[in-house]
Amino acid sequence: MTDPRVRLHGIHKRYGRVVALDDARLDVRAGEVHGVLGANGAGKSTLLSILGGMIRADAGGIEIDGRPVDLRSPKDAWANGVALVHQHFALVPALTAIENLALGRGTAASVRPAAVAVMERTGLTVPLDAMVSELSVGDRQRIEILKALLREPSVLVLDEPTAVLTPQEVERLFDLVRELASAGTSVVLVAHKLDEVLAISDRVTVLRNGRTVRTDDAASVASDDLVEAMVGSNEAIPISAPSPPDRTGNEPVLSVQGASLTVDGVTRLHEVSLDAWPGEVVGIAGVEGNGQRELAHLLVGLAHPSAGTVRAPTDVGFVPQDRIHEGLIGDFDVAENIALVLHRTDAFRLGSRVRWRDVGAEANRIIDAYGIVASSAKSPVAALSGGNQQRVVIGRETAVARELFVAENPTRGLDVSAAAFVRAQLIDMAESGVAVVVLSTDLDEIIELSTRIMVLSRGRLASVAPSERSREGIGALMLGGESA
Amino acid sequence: MSRRYGPILIGLAAVALTGAVGSVLLWLGGFDPLAAGAALIRGSVGSGRVFFSITLVRSVPLILTGLAVALAFRAGVWNIGAEGQLYVGAIAATWVGLSWAGLPPVVLIPLVLSSSVLAGAAWALLPAVMRSRFGVGEVITTILMNFVGIHFAAWMVHGPMQESRGVFPQSDAIGEAARLPALVPGSRLHLGFGIALVLAGALAWMLRHTAVGFRLRATGTAPEAARIAGRIDTHRTVLLAFLVSGGIAGLAGGVDVSGVTFALYENLSPGWGYTAIAVALLAGLHPWAVVLTGVFFGALQAGAGAMQRDAGIPAAWVGVVEALVILAVLGLDRVRRDREARR
Repeated sequence: MTDPRVRLHGIHKRYGRVVALDDARLDVRAGEVHGVLGANGAGKSTLLSILGGMIRADAGGIEIDGRPVDLRSPKDAWANGVALVHQHFALVPALTAIENLALGRGTAASVRPAAVAVMERTGLTVPLDAMVSELSVGDRQRIEILKALLREPSVLVLDEPTAVLTPQEVERLFDLVRELASAGTSVVLVAHKLDEVLAISDRVTVLRNGRTVRTDDAASVASDDLVEAMVGSNEAIPISAPSPPDRTGNEPVLSVQGASLTVDGVTRLHEVSLDAWPGEVVGIAGVEGNGQRELAHLLVGLAHPSAGTVRAPTDVGFVPQDRIHEGLIGDFDVAENIALVLHRTDAFRLGSRVRWRDVGAEANRIIDAYGIVASSAKSPVAALSGGNQQRVVIGRETAVARELFVAENPTRGLDVSAAAFVRAQLIDMAESGVAVVVLSTDLDEIIELSTRIMVLSRGRLASVAPSERSREGIGALMLGGESA
Repeated sequence: MSRRYGPILIGLAAVALTGAVGSVLLWLGGFDPLAAGAALIRGSVGSGRVFFSITLVRSVPLILTGLAVALAFRAGVWNIGAEGQLYVGAIAATWVGLSWAGLPPVVLIPLVLSSSVLAGAAWALLPAVMRSRFGVGEVITTILMNFVGIHFAAWMVHGPMQESRGVFPQSDAIGEAARLPALVPGSRLHLGFGIALVLAGALAWMLRHTAVGFRLRATGTAPEAARIAGRIDTHRTVLLAFLVSGGIAGLAGGVDVSGVTFALYENLSPGWGYTAIAVALLAGLHPWAVVLTGVFFGALQAGAGAMQRDAGIPAAWVGVVEALVILAVLGLDRVRRDREARR
């Protein structure tokens, strides 16, 4: 137990002028669960990718069971007992689960006995003969983990496994992780939520700006100290949901009456009704794939109801859930990304011309006002960190949202301080008299932000009574409504 | 490599790489690369006469079709159909030129050219609608429309539009009033080159400064973000870019009839609509750069004749060089993307 199973020391990695890792260290003991913490861009994923053989370090060493190893590819990592489950799934949607497991290993028939054995041993069950495209995110992740376990790793590396899961699914995943660890497997995992990591880990390592800051026993460390180690200072922005607004004499700015939406013959939304008044934050909780995306698109005018009515203002601020593919154009610079909204506004056009000088000035204003770290308005947004990218989106959308603002998973993938900033912005907006609708899979976020909570499950929208306003109550409704 | 100069560096590197690989291939083929290069240069830029009357004249259809392809690609429209659009443009221009032969040049020439634009756009309409309404991939449909367009022109010169003597498969010649005036007196360089320059400037300005150009670039770069964050009607934008691209390719046909051949022929184009793809890619899809790469390919084609004459090297070698340029551009661009993606 004294010698670590895995030791990474003095790891350096640069990409051009950006230093991703600068003297990062990580020791993982046999049979322990080791959490890796850090803000966005701290280098967590890079470090894990180096351990998984996906990326090579510029300098530094890796030892496994005391032997120095050179991991040039995922194959080398597998040969040394390390299996990495990536943040983004690498499954073929058009194949079944078992076919995906068999890729590169043999035929579905030859792999099945081993897969069934692992499923029985771990309790990790997935429908092996279902098409991956038809499976939930949770199932897909279980397939990825199965894929890794089939290699019988002594070190299992999980990069942000909880980001897409419901609270119940997170519980199941953590049970599995504990079982694997008690059977002697070392598990290294990254998650954004501090309490989750602390709950599951034996020890935690904190990275900041590519450097390992500290490693602690999870049982004895104070979470405040960890937050401070992650962000450099412990300045949590206090947040409280705005008080419910006075509705007297006010009309709702958003009114959805019995709206249904059918896409390609599948009904995604069933007779949804929803009003939003100025000054409130309506939180809509739900597990992914239950109609959030469709509802958000309905509210902002990107989709039209098959039945029922939607009455909404013309210019709605919108934070789409996938900022890389839906919210921003990575190859475009900051000003051009802001122009995605401004080009619709007469103030920034002269006939058919775009007033690029004014757009640039507005971009600089947003960069200053939102504290966006970018070398200039001409930097491509792909070069910004996730938190700064989201600030670009929010700054730009706030510029046009006078009455209604819709945000879909606005803090997904952001670190603690960036997420706090985004939430504070949403509350500010509500307090300035905008109606804010937040759709999120993050229950804590919903509870923290909302003046009113609703749950979207299988395309149906239900109100949550103030008395049911708890993780357990809302979680049950999210999963298909025992009490709905 | 900086974002701004990246495409230029790639273009230069591709040309250098092509020169190196091409020389080795020539040498392996038993030819003298130096003699070939010398003949190529003599035949393309060796004198004012060859430069203006051969190189630049040949570059006109390449620049125009190159602009058509570049515009489409910028909007994410893979229009491989410039060849067919060029042919129907040539048919329309010839027909208008012959039918209204009595009109004065100031009326007739614009009429001839606009008819070629409309014809090219009309030829792009079917693939454009199939793409934007039904999601049918335009790569296949535009290639197939090329064959229809080429054979349509062939049928015209064997049938309805065959010359009145009825001997050769070609149309009657259009009158003086339908012909483009010379741009440089005493050379064969015609006004079409000026039109190509103006068009390149107009497209560059449109892409950079107008809302339409912005929507087009956004749609071509990231259609989902354009639709969701930009609320851009991407179907409409795709349709528009497709039709304008077709129109410009059609104009290439009209300009060639009105400026060079003065009649419709069966094999009017030696594949300009396809070479246009190389022209556009080498230019990094930038309109001004298309002018440069168009002249570059025009020089290659002009030099090919001299190479055959003076160094005994088959002109087909220029086809090899063109192919090498495409491979080099695509390969180098791939390398650049991979580098950026790994950051």
